Amino acid sequence: MVYRSGGFGIQSALRGAWRRLTGLWRENEINRGLDDEIAFHLEQQTAKNRRAGMPPDEARRAALLRFGGVEPLKERTRDEFRAAFVQDFWRDMRIGARMLRRSPGFAAATILTIGLGTGAATAVFSVVNGVLLRPLPYPDSHRLVRLFQLSDKGARMNVSGMNFDDWQARTHSFAGMARYNFWGLTPAIGGSEPTMATTAVVSREFFDVMQVRPWKGRTFAPAEQRVGGAPAAIVGYGFWRRWLSGAELDGKALRIGDRLYPVIGVMPAGFDYPNGTAVWLARELNPPDTSRTAHNFQAVARLRDGVSLETARADISTLSRQLKQQYGNDTWMFDATAVPLLEQMTATSKPALQMLFGAAILLLVVATTNVSSLLLARAAARQHQFAVQLAIGAGRFRIARQLLAETTVLCLAGGAVGAVTSIWAVRALVSLGPGVAPRLDQANVDWIALLFALGVSMAAAVALGVMTTLGTRGVPLSSTLAEGPRAGTGGRRSLFVRQALVVAQVALTLVLLAGAGLLARSFVKLLEVNPGFTLDEALVVDLAVTNGGTDFRTRRVMLLDSILERLRQLPGVSQAGLVTGFPLGGGNYANGQFIEMTSPDEITSIEAFTKLGPAAIKQRAGFAGYRLVSADYFQALRIPVIRGRAIEQSDGPESPHVAVISESLARSKWPGQDPIGRFVQFGNMDGDVKGFQVVGIVGDVRELTPETPPSPLFYGSYRQRPNSIWRLSVVLRGPDPDAIGPSVQRALREVAPEIPVQLRTMQGAFSTALTGRRFSLVLITVFGGAALLLATFGLYGLISYLVAQRTREIGIRMALGAKSGDLLKLIVGKGARLALYGTIAGLVAAFFLSSVVQGLLFAISPTDPQVLAVVAVVTVLASVAASYVPARRATKIEPVSSLRA
Amino acid sequence: MRDSERSPENDRESVLQGTLDMLVLRAVQLEPMHGWGIAERLEQWSEQILQLGQGTLYPALYRLERQGLIDSKWRVTENNRRARYYSLTAAGRRQLAREMESWQRLSRAINLVLRASIA
Repeated sequence: MVYRSGGFGIQSALRGAWRRLTGLWRENEINRGLDDEIAFHLEQQTAKNRRAGMPPDEARRAALLRFGGVEPLKERTRDEFRAAFVQDFWRDMRIGARMLRRSPGFAAATILTIGLGTGAATAVFSVVNGVLLRPLPYPDSHRLVRLFQLSDKGARMNVSGMNFDDWQARTHSFAGMARYNFWGLTPAIGGSEPTMATTAVVSREFFDVMQVRPWKGRTFAPAEQRVGGAPAAIVGYGFWRRWLSGAELDGKALRIGDRLYPVIGVMPAGFDYPNGTAVWLARELNPPDTSRTAHNFQAVARLRDGVSLETARADISTLSRQLKQQYGNDTWMFDATAVPLLEQMTATSKPALQMLFGAAILLLVVATTNVSSLLLARAAARQHQFAVQLAIGAGRFRIARQLLAETTVLCLAGGAVGAVTSIWAVRALVSLGPGVAPRLDQANVDWIALLFALGVSMAAAVALGVMTTLGTRGVPLSSTLAEGPRAGTGGRRSLFVRQALVVAQVALTLVLLAGAGLLARSFVKLLEVNPGFTLDEALVVDLAVTNGGTDFRTRRVMLLDSILERLRQLPGVSQAGLVTGFPLGGGNYANGQFIEMTSPDEITSIEAFTKLGPAAIKQRAGFAGYRLVSADYFQALRIPVIRGRAIEQSDGPESPHVAVISESLARSKWPGQDPIGRFVQFGNMDGDVKGFQVVGIVGDVRELTPETPPSPLFYGSYRQRPNSIWRLSVVLRGPDPDAIGPSVQRALREVAPEIPVQLRTMQGAFSTALTGRRFSLVLITVFGGAALLLATFGLYGLISYLVAQRTREIGIRMALGAKSGDLLKLIVGKGARLALYGTIAGLVAAFFLSSVVQGLLFAISPTDPQVLAVVAVVTVLASVAASYVPARRATKIEPVSSLRA
Repeated sequence: MRDSERSPENDRESVLQGTLDMLVLRAVQLEPMHGWGIAERLEQWSEQILQLGQGTLYPALYRLERQGLIDSKWRVTENNRRARYYSLTAAGRRQLAREMESWQRLSRAINLVLRASIA
């Protein structure tokens, strides 16, 4: 009973379908035979004129003249026809709605299914719209670009002060160009409580380039933008509300570092460029940057009116290549480029969002396909109604219009359900992934999203209307009429289409499940990666110390000593380890170049360094991340000491400076040699030119996420090198880390009342590091699961229908002694065969779509055979289960009653 | 000076808005007729005063058919030509009766008014 599709070429089928569709519309006009009617009219008139004695030509001409324009007439008739279409369509929709009310179960199932599809698509679209599409909230934000130096390998770099000055003076494509230095979270004291404020130091052009005016107060005055000028701070709206109690600005000031900054202005709500900044300071308070290789700045610019992005790119690129020629080795800039600001901001979240949007559309297609089979089943049951309508001259077009009206009612109702659901879904998505993408928190279902929902609903309606029409055509009128109202077999074409729809659902479901499976396996692989330190629960205390005052080095060491001492003595704390760059985020991840020395004080000045000459520098240089730790740190995080020793409490300010290096640094810098005992100059990190001696090698750690390969790390003692410390974390280990939070807060307020403190747990920090992946994984798994459910129901429906169709035949078989096992095999086999076709098609599709997920995977290939095998087996098993239920029912058929029926 | 070039406004009336449907129904009341026949018949009956614009006749025929007031079928004429014949349906018959009655009431009322003003 499988429909043999031999000779049923896809192309010819499509061509035929198109012909039939366009035919439906034209059929009406042709059926009307308006052309013939006009011709006849003219003929009659001509004949009459001839009877009146006109010559033939004259008679024809007179008839035409009298008739008037033929085309306007046709057009007016068509107008009647169109007006009629709209009117009748409206009437059909009302009839459709009435019919749906009469079968509430069917209506609910289809509307909910369409609602699921449109809801998922609308929700993801809202996120895509909010993150990727919606313009940034600055005037003419599409004219804003980020400017980058390009390295010899084409990598985007920050810009150095001198290169920036040249850009500013010698390009012509920009209306304005600003640079800024993003400090990130910085302790700010002077609000209602000490806090960490995201801070940026911006050049004088900044607010003009962004074209943002303060909502309250003013921007920097010239006297606040020169070396030694009066410090001043501008704060964001949220910061002002939360930490300055939304009060007047008079007398408010923030202490940041060693300066006191009076607050002079508040930016409007929603302005937080760059990167969530809440406090802006003036760059010009500090001396101008005279280095061409200190890449301290990010640059943002506004294109001059009428200048295209390409022109601006060419402009800055030409200049930068000239500068390279001019300065040679004095600059590391080989080229430069301009990137639209929004593109730059969303570059990292774009692939995942695009993939999720694709997944949501797939789910929508599965849902629509599912409803399509339901509609076809219903249309088959209504075959008799259509046949009667046709017999009394309704015309194919009339029936197509009625079907389209019904699917429109369905899809509009479904779309409404989807739109309402998506409002809730978007909220859930936003709460699921803070930090997944910039601006995600601002994503909502706006009118564009509603328009999108309407659009996809109408597209679904048309697709469903067309499918149903095509599926019901080709049923011979006479046979349907003869069979009477109850029989309604639906015809071979309808059955073929319905089987194809089930196969398509299974195939699309498999694609979604494959995506979910691949992301899930990546996630598991990530969890399996040894990050190099223990993830056992611990309390992580994030702190920041401020600069300034006389003798701040000694005072800083004393402060950190007493903080560590106090925390270590708290009941419930067994270990307390301090680090300036906690591996799971929230610290200072400085890195740089160091030089190996032959003695602890071989190189203590720039002169001594340059005297080495480029060749020796190249040979002696190494590159590493620079972290400062306390004696207990490695033990608190269970980072193994592989050789030599860890840093110890006795490594104090007065003793020789010691360093511990990570395994990968030992391997990359001293392959096959013993790094222990070697001397290293790393003073460029903190201005302290005292040399380090390497005393030990520790295990590698993966910083920020498990997917980054371990980077070479260089650890010094915070007690010996306090200069560069500002953000740091203390890891507290003990039997119940959650319980000690309050006492930690209290203790810190006593020891260091001016220091802002944040607490988090190790697990929480780890979970945050995986937020982006979890977001994609949860979403696509939900989509895949929903699709699997729909496909299973689709198959169940089809097999049930086939069983119902063949009740009589099954009865005969049973009467003739067929075993129920054979029947089960026959029917389940049918379902399994359809599922298999779908699975194979899905595997092929997944193979071709593999590049979409490639970039989102970790440590597996997008055609990972294990994942695809599991997914295929799950799909087939679900299909077998779906066919088993109706098959079971078939074996319960009473032969006698079925034959009598 | 040819017949067809005379402007209808001179001695012919264009059909009053809204009455065209009634006139068409009336034209096919007795027997099925094709479009040209309907136009001719209306012209004859009105002693050439009413001249139907073809641009309104055919859209009207389509409209009436869609409203179910007339029906149409392709038939062969006595001269062996294919033509579309329109006939009145039951609904059309009722509609015509209603419209004629209301028209007669209206025209009688108008006549009364006109006569009164002459007096």
